[in-house]
Amino acid sequence: MLTPRRLDAARGLGDRLFRLQLTATGITVLAVMAGVGLFLLLRAGQALRARGLSFLTTAAWQPDVHNFGIAAVLTGTVLIAFVAVVISVPLAVGTALFISDIAPRGLRRTLVTLVDLMAAVPSVVYGLWGLFFLQQHVIGLSRWLSEWLGWIPLFRVDGTQPGEPLASESVFTASTFVAGIVVALMVAPIQCSVMREVFSQAPAGEREGAYALGATRWGMIRSVVLPYGKGGIIGGTMLGLGRALGETIAVYLIISPVFAIQWHVLQTGSNSVSSLIALHYGDASDFGMSALMAAGLALFLLTLAVNFTASSVVARSRSGAQSEA
Amino acid sequence: MRSHLHTALGRLRALGTLGALLGVIAGLLAGPLAAPAAAESYTPISGAGSTWAENAVDEWRRAVNQYGMRISYAGTGSSDGRRQFLSGTVDFAVSDIPFQTHPTDGSAAERPASGSYAYMPIVAGGTVFMYHLTVNGKRVTNLRLSGDVVTKIFTGAVKTWDDPVIKADNPGLQLPHRTIVPVVRSDGSGSTAQFTMWMANQHKSLWQAYCDKVGRSGACGQTSYYPTVSGMIAQSGDLGVAGYVAQNYGEGAIGYVNYSYALNAHYPVAKVLNHAGYYTEPTPQNVAVSLLKARINNDRNSADYLTQKLDGVYNDSDRRNYPLSSYSYMILPLKVQGTFTQAKGKTLGAFSYYFMCQGQQQAPSLGYSPLPINLVKAGFDQIRRIPGVQAQNINIRGCNNPTFSGDGHNKLADTAPYPAACDKKGAPPCTTGSGGAKTGTGSGGSGSTGGTGGGSTTGGSTGGTSGGGSTGGSSAGGTAAGGGTGGGSEPVVDPDTGQTLSPGSGAGGSGSGSTGGGGTGGGSGTAGDTIALAQPVSVAGGQGWTSTQTLMLIAAFLVLGLVLLPSLVSRAITGRGAGKSSGEGQRR
Amino acid sequence: MTVVEETPLSGAGHAPPPPADAVVRPAPPRPRRIGGVTRTGVLSLCGAAASGICVTVLLFGQLAPFSGALGFTVTAYLVFLAVYAVLTGLDEDAQAVRDKVMTVVLWTAATLLFSGLVMVVGFTAWRGREALPHGNFFTQDMQAAGPLDPLTHGGIAHAMLGTLTMITIALVITVPLGLACAVYLNQIPGRFSRFVRTIVEAMTALPSIVAGLMVYATWILGLGMQKSGLAAGFAISVMMLPIVIRASDVVLRLVPGNLTEAAEALGAPRWRTVWHVVLPTARSGLATAVILGTARGIGETSPVLLTAGFTAALNADATSGPMVSLPLAVFNFVKSPEPTMIARGFGAAAVLMALVLVLFVIARVIGGRGPGHRTKRQARRGARASRADVRRFEELRAPGLSLFENPGEPLPGKDAPTAPATGETD
Repeated sequence: MLTPRRLDAARGLGDRLFRLQLTATGITVLAVMAGVGLFLLLRAGQALRARGLSFLTTAAWQPDVHNFGIAAVLTGTVLIAFVAVVISVPLAVGTALFISDIAPRGLRRTLVTLVDLMAAVPSVVYGLWGLFFLQQHVIGLSRWLSEWLGWIPLFRVDGTQPGEPLASESVFTASTFVAGIVVALMVAPIQCSVMREVFSQAPAGEREGAYALGATRWGMIRSVVLPYGKGGIIGGTMLGLGRALGETIAVYLIISPVFAIQWHVLQTGSNSVSSLIALHYGDASDFGMSALMAAGLALFLLTLAVNFTASSVVARSRSGAQSEA
Repeated sequence: MRSHLHTALGRLRALGTLGALLGVIAGLLAGPLAAPAAAESYTPISGAGSTWAENAVDEWRRAVNQYGMRISYAGTGSSDGRRQFLSGTVDFAVSDIPFQTHPTDGSAAERPASGSYAYMPIVAGGTVFMYHLTVNGKRVTNLRLSGDVVTKIFTGAVKTWDDPVIKADNPGLQLPHRTIVPVVRSDGSGSTAQFTMWMANQHKSLWQAYCDKVGRSGACGQTSYYPTVSGMIAQSGDLGVAGYVAQNYGEGAIGYVNYSYALNAHYPVAKVLNHAGYYTEPTPQNVAVSLLKARINNDRNSADYLTQKLDGVYNDSDRRNYPLSSYSYMILPLKVQGTFTQAKGKTLGAFSYYFMCQGQQQAPSLGYSPLPINLVKAGFDQIRRIPGVQAQNINIRGCNNPTFSGDGHNKLADTAPYPAACDKKGAPPCTTGSGGAKTGTGSGGSGSTGGTGGGSTTGGSTGGTSGGGSTGGSSAGGTAAGGGTGGGSEPVVDPDTGQTLSPGSGAGGSGSGSTGGGGTGGGSGTAGDTIALAQPVSVAGGQGWTSTQTLMLIAAFLVLGLVLLPSLVSRAITGRGAGKSSGEGQRR
Repeated sequence: MTVVEETPLSGAGHAPPPPADAVVRPAPPRPRRIGGVTRTGVLSLCGAAASGICVTVLLFGQLAPFSGALGFTVTAYLVFLAVYAVLTGLDEDAQAVRDKVMTVVLWTAATLLFSGLVMVVGFTAWRGREALPHGNFFTQDMQAAGPLDPLTHGGIAHAMLGTLTMITIALVITVPLGLACAVYLNQIPGRFSRFVRTIVEAMTALPSIVAGLMVYATWILGLGMQKSGLAAGFAISVMMLPIVIRASDVVLRLVPGNLTEAAEALGAPRWRTVWHVVLPTARSGLATAVILGTARGIGETSPVLLTAGFTAALNADATSGPMVSLPLAVFNFVKSPEPTMIARGFGAAAVLMALVLVLFVIARVIGGRGPGHRTKRQARRGARASRADVRRFEELRAPGLSLFENPGEPLPGKDAPTAPATGETD
């Protein structure tokens, strides 16, 4: 890419003012952004100092007796995001490949628009769908999973025996799994849109080359598009993961918060940092607010790590070299 | 230069279009709608707090709208309301419990500046246990629970509905072996505080044991934050709890909410055993009776003036007592503080006058109980202390409060009906429903009265189902009288399980009931039919990997083989006969 | 290299095998067909689908007491895949079979995702149908309506107004600040701007609820301000600002360097270059960035939940008193067990979606073109300016009095005869 030549000639008054003004804006934005971060750190500091490392290992949330930690909420957050990613990534990769290589040409533009539009649908809409539609229809699937895959600890559900006809359906509601599916549908368009962008940039020459060597379409995809778009897949996944970690309302509407580490994704009860904040911001005391800030900070750092990993992976990959994602 | 100007202008225009559009729409919307509100002299005020009392506050808020008062109320939980009042972000708060200056559950003490606030009771009501339980496809509406059973349910000691202790409370009611799902509040809540206070007071050992088990550090008495264990559902707000219980997957759930939510949701509530040995529900009359025993702090100089001590209510020996009755309070500002101003004091005062006087009339229809005269008078005195209030001299007789009488007695309490004999401990349960589901349940075999609280979803009469084999489901509901008489002589047998549900005598009594219920039953014939058609419980569920599954798998492979093998075999044969390219030709 | 011959299109029936000598001929090397529809392909697809469904019906209806629509679908799909693989395997080699099967799988993935998304949106719109036909739903607030009132009372006008107010506040803050900051990052490179860029990128990871919590802790608890539309606008701004900056930054980086260089070569100062070259070139991209940020900001519930308070009344004053936005109203409506309130919630959600859709369409219309591409109108304007310049030069070169005419302002009327009319009416 061409970059403008640096000109160090003497500048006029207008130019100097212009630079000054721009720099001022930059400083303002920096001040706002850094202020947010610093304030978060500062307010969280009180709680973090009080708890030290046990902040990471305590599951309970009773800030006022200094018995609180993010073991439960962070695990819940990560599990929800994990379920979401496990469900969304195959769908997103498949759809992205479909749009970039398989869909009839006339359909492509429509699908691209549709995916982008879906990425903009407010999360509360997904939450509504999850609460009023998915929750009651997913019980059968949850029950089936728990019956057949219950030997995997992740899928075990306490309190039901397989095949018990009167088994309570509510043990399968308000679970990590339900929240995960909803978040998956929420982030899948975002992931899909990033991946499609990258897939469609796979060099035409290599595609033609693969075809010329007798590859089938799938062979071409496997040997050209997927290796080329690996960065995009990882980047898109991470981007979706970041959104999934921070999602509040859809999760808040669905889960029933428990303050114990809940590994059983199908079982009722889950938690997430953002829904903890939404739940307790109002009735928190001064110290409680500091504890919430600390939880928010932990979530922020987690998202930050995910995002930076994503951008560095994308930047290092072949496809990321020229794209500016 | 001109072109530059053009482009620059175009750029500005494009970016500005959106903002302008939004602005225009906003203006259009705001113009006609904001005008009437602006013309009034009341400054809008906002409050937050209890969801327990939210239905009443919402009703009042709606009613005073006609006087031009704009009240915003957010039902965010009592703890949130008190906290917001302390931080000055709301003008008033509604809380079921006073400020927790010395909390027993280890939460941070709330330290309101003395002289900056006052309590005023606004409405009375009962915390009820709303449940969702069906037996053979029809909803149970006459569940009865004694206090220790309630405590055991909410502390995880009783795990299934067919537990002997629940059966002991409900002789004759056939309960399923279904897991109990306690639904509790996830946010800081006055309902939780009232409920836990009652448990800590009445069933101390059970509650204490639970607290120890859960690992709440610090002393565990009354708490606004329910300690949860796995298997419980925690929802925010009474709405959330009621909403969860009312979902179709809420089968087996029981949650504590204000009575009004159960009424609105058309769901039954558990009758709770009082110290007189009767199972009661918090009708406005029962609550009025119960709260006669509440000890109100009458020391005007105390910071806790007008707050309640409920021990007397818990231990009352009146037959009509409902133990979990309580008042809900509004926390009034006495100083200009936070967002509160003198102008807002005027609105708050007028609003308070309204709901302390006229507003109380609506309380019974909402599921609350109106305040007695002494508290209304005391409340009027409290209202005068609001800064900026325009004091009114209200003739208290004009309020039409159902509790007022000429001699100062609580009329509502005086005229409260005594519970029926069937509500006595040990007696077979009444067949009438409870809460929002007034229709009878299947155990008594009677066409019960239609009741007031809707409940049409459950249908009118349930006489048919329990009417035994003789009348059967088909004649039920539509011709309730026939069902009633049919069931009159024989013992009532559940058609599905063959279990005797109620003795013949009980059904005989119901025969007369069916005349009353005939109207409802006939009116909602279809509903009756759906009730009567009790869905058979499918016992043939999957039992993990058994021989059935193996057989199924083998069958699946056999079918696939049947479909695919012939063509593959024929292909193989022709392929061998004609060589590779013959197979190619075969395809043509 | 072996190329499997495609099935000729003519004989996909059950023709008897031709005599052996007719078939033994060297297969002409034909290129592998990639994609496209063949009759065999369609037929085997249909056949596999039919057999998949039949087998599953047989399994479910006769052989095994399976149940559940989901189980049926999954079994049917798996059987279908297996049969399809076998069917294509009769004709083609392993590679082609894999290709066919994977094509079907990718179709399925896309269908699944799209049907899921359509279901989400469609479900909301469908459930909103009860509330939406009532005119009062758009013109009234909830002040005079209780939870038990029918849908003919009350509406979401307060939430619509609130959403518009909040997003306007957020735009007023983020657009100038965000665009200027993006220009700064691009135009004044250096260590400091790289630092700013890093921080901004880091802040895009800020969860929206934490943004809300920040404003709640500082503005409301710290400074003792009210919960209001303004506070919510701030919270949305904090959330939107990094998004807008980052998106604009990317767009500005795409402005071709030779354009800026040309401007600088003509002696334009930097600010003129930016104002007249960089920004107009990137205009559509910037607009898209802003609008997509707006769509994101409009749909956010959590920052508003913490900072706006809740009211049922219409509040046009953003600086005092609680104010609700559409997502917050949805969130509050659906907490009620009342069917009418839930219907209102879905109605509000449908309105919110429509709003986002409109924004999105605007973004598509303005954006969707790379920098440097011009709309017809812009092209016309440019052409007109060039023609004016040409005339000006001609007049300058012309002797005599024409010098005293105002050369920069050619009247449209005078313009017409010299230029081929291309509809310069804008």
